[in-house]
Amino acid sequence: MERETLEVDVLIVGGGPAGLSAALRLAQLQKAAGERLSIAVLEKAREAGAHMLSGAVLDPSSLRDLVPDFEAKGAPLATPVREDRVYFLTRNGKIKFPFTPPPLTNHGNYIISLNKLVKWLAGLVESEGIDVFTGFPGADILMDGDRVLGVRTGDRGIDKHGERKTTFESGVDIHGKVTIFADGVRGNLTKELVRRLGLASADHPQLFAIGIKELWDVPPDRVRAGTVIHTMGYPLRFEEFGGGFIYAMPEGQLSVGFVAGLDYKDPMFDPHVAFNQFKRHPLVRGLLDGGQMVRYGAKALPEGGWYAIPRCYADGALIVGDAAGFMNSMRLKGIHLAMRSGMQAAETAFDALRAGDTSAARLRQFERKINDGPVRRELYPVRNVHQMFGYGLLAGLAYSGLSLVTGGWWFAPIGSEPGHDRMETLAHYHGRSGRAIPGAGTNAIKPDRRLTFDTLTNVHYSGTRHDEDQPVHLLVQTDVCHTICTEEYGNPCERFCPANVYEMIVKEGAGRQLQINASNCVHCKTCDIMDPYQVITWVPPEGGGGPRYDGM
Amino acid sequence: MQIAVCIKQVPTREWQPRLDDARTWIREQDASFEMNEPDAYALEASLRLKEKHGGEVVVCSAGPARVAQVVREALARGADRAIHVEDDRLGSADAFVVAEALAGAMKDERFDLVLTGLQSDDQGFAQTGVVLAERLGLPHATIIMDVQVDVQGVPGESTPAVRVKRELEGGWFQWVAMPLPAVLTIQSGINQLRYATLKGIMAAKKKEIRKVTPAAFAPRQKIVSIYVPEKGKKTQMIAGSPAEAAKELVRRLREEARVI
Repeated sequence: MERETLEVDVLIVGGGPAGLSAALRLAQLQKAAGERLSIAVLEKAREAGAHMLSGAVLDPSSLRDLVPDFEAKGAPLATPVREDRVYFLTRNGKIKFPFTPPPLTNHGNYIISLNKLVKWLAGLVESEGIDVFTGFPGADILMDGDRVLGVRTGDRGIDKHGERKTTFESGVDIHGKVTIFADGVRGNLTKELVRRLGLASADHPQLFAIGIKELWDVPPDRVRAGTVIHTMGYPLRFEEFGGGFIYAMPEGQLSVGFVAGLDYKDPMFDPHVAFNQFKRHPLVRGLLDGGQMVRYGAKALPEGGWYAIPRCYADGALIVGDAAGFMNSMRLKGIHLAMRSGMQAAETAFDALRAGDTSAARLRQFERKINDGPVRRELYPVRNVHQMFGYGLLAGLAYSGLSLVTGGWWFAPIGSEPGHDRMETLAHYHGRSGRAIPGAGTNAIKPDRRLTFDTLTNVHYSGTRHDEDQPVHLLVQTDVCHTICTEEYGNPCERFCPANVYEMIVKEGAGRQLQINASNCVHCKTCDIMDPYQVITWVPPEGGGGPRYDGM
Repeated sequence: MQIAVCIKQVPTREWQPRLDDARTWIREQDASFEMNEPDAYALEASLRLKEKHGGEVVVCSAGPARVAQVVREALARGADRAIHVEDDRLGSADAFVVAEALAGAMKDERFDLVLTGLQSDDQGFAQTGVVLAERLGLPHATIIMDVQVDVQGVPGESTPAVRVKRELEGGWFQWVAMPLPAVLTIQSGINQLRYATLKGIMAAKKKEIRKVTPAAFAPRQKIVSIYVPEKGKKTQMIAGSPAEAAKELVRRLREEARVI
């Protein structure tokens, strides 16, 4: 079979803030040096920014370094942050923190739509003559021994039975002297690379959370633009990590979201229901009543912090952004770290190319840059925080406070287990087995379709679309589902998926079976992370498929 | 053969339409846009005709600057160059205005064939192609399922011609022979759409996009108001034994709802 190939100097896989910052930095470096590199960016979404989902409050430090005249260039920053509020919620009440904990102080930051920021960044990158190939996911890593040669993009035009359609186009082999992996949280290629080269530490597996968010239009006088609200407590229990956020933008637009740690114990816990409970709390309801939900989306986020970051360099490869886990879970921010890591990876790659040496030994410079720069300065002091929340909210909060004083010191790095291992069986947690509990979760409520919605309605608002006639992109070992999983965990995939992809249905003659509604998938990666048997593998669907997060 | 294909950019169907404050158009700032589906099939048909008969495919689009998105996509799939009639008012304009704007930019190009989609996914007039044919002084045929160019011409006539298959009601089709140049409005789903390749995307950057400002702007109609239909749902319970109830259900579906 004839396969198209493309040779470039630097291949960047993923067109988010990390990947695009790397591309833009490379453009600046080559301009300054009077050289001309070939650079390509691959992005699985149909359009730049379409799969971008974040709160988001932006710390502009990296943006300022990357694009000093970002204001003149029209960076789409919705509003500067004018006010921070932090609440501890009880079922119907709220307790305002008397002062804003320093990590949650957002003076000097901006509320943004990450979708808009990334679209804008992609425009800057393209105007430098760099190709941003949207609609092309990286499907496989091309390797020669331990050396990364590049990436193979996904085949297109395969029907649901795996047969080629008349429009079939085989994936393209793109070879890069350096490949920068920026494929986001739980990136399918980074996951594979880390596994193949053993780049992660067993004591500090990456920890994740799921963020669910809606964009709302409410009467503009509800809350002042620039107000940032964070909540802890209800609807979560002390054993569960997470909280809510509300960010107020001009013209009555609100970002309303909820983050839940993907290390909960109760197999019947449902993050989407927790989001609905949060919205029904008087604090949130008061802001949303009479408004209109505009968009919906969900995405996992890497919460493990400093120790969970894998080795980010290999022969011919670097890992940046959420793919590596450059996120500060204490400040609830990662965009600036994604951008910074992208920029520093670009600098490393550029030097390596000039020296004609792209070996791991040379690319290790990236680690030194991270260690000597703002990324470590920010992440190291909070290195143990998320792990301490593994001991519950009170321990986590107490340690967070303590770490502000001690600079994050603890007797030893606090280890942790992967989040999916913490999920307990029904028998253990509820004292009864699966058959006794029908589909609904511990915290189930009935959506009213004005303030709260079922997941299917929500998915409709995510703009998600996939070509229906393609193989299922969620590879599941389904013989586990109706046998041991129903009994042991009560099929938690039905609850942790925020897009109604997984459904246990009763088929005549065949009994209970898993049905995978793959075309609903919003690419959040939660199932790949949280399934207790680790039998779900997320692989990219045909290029261009997925959500459309305009304005998110 | 010189082939023009007219492409419109429309809001995506996955987007919940929201109205602007004046309630005369949608809120464009939070809409997502894409290539009008029937136009994508017209583009595919024109690329296949070019592959068979040679020549050039020129994308013609009328709309605000945002339209560049679908123009680039068409170029990446294989069109050779583009004409973009740019004006913000064209985003919500009626078929007459759009056809007028396109005709002004296209009249000097001497196309052998002009393809458009049957209708747009947003306003759905199904008139742009027809009015465009009138403005260009060309014959047209609508709801086209198949296009066969006969370079030799119709027997007895000297001009090159085209045979087209039209879709009629009730599963009927009609073959029509007509002279070239002509305007054809293409039905959705008549072929398999190709993907843009990496090489196609790279090549598209070097292709010419000629920007044209529309001359006169004389809308003959204006949108007075638009609204989202109220959802009505009525549940009727049919009493009786299962057999009777089923019979009554069939009767009502047939006679009242008229769906079977």
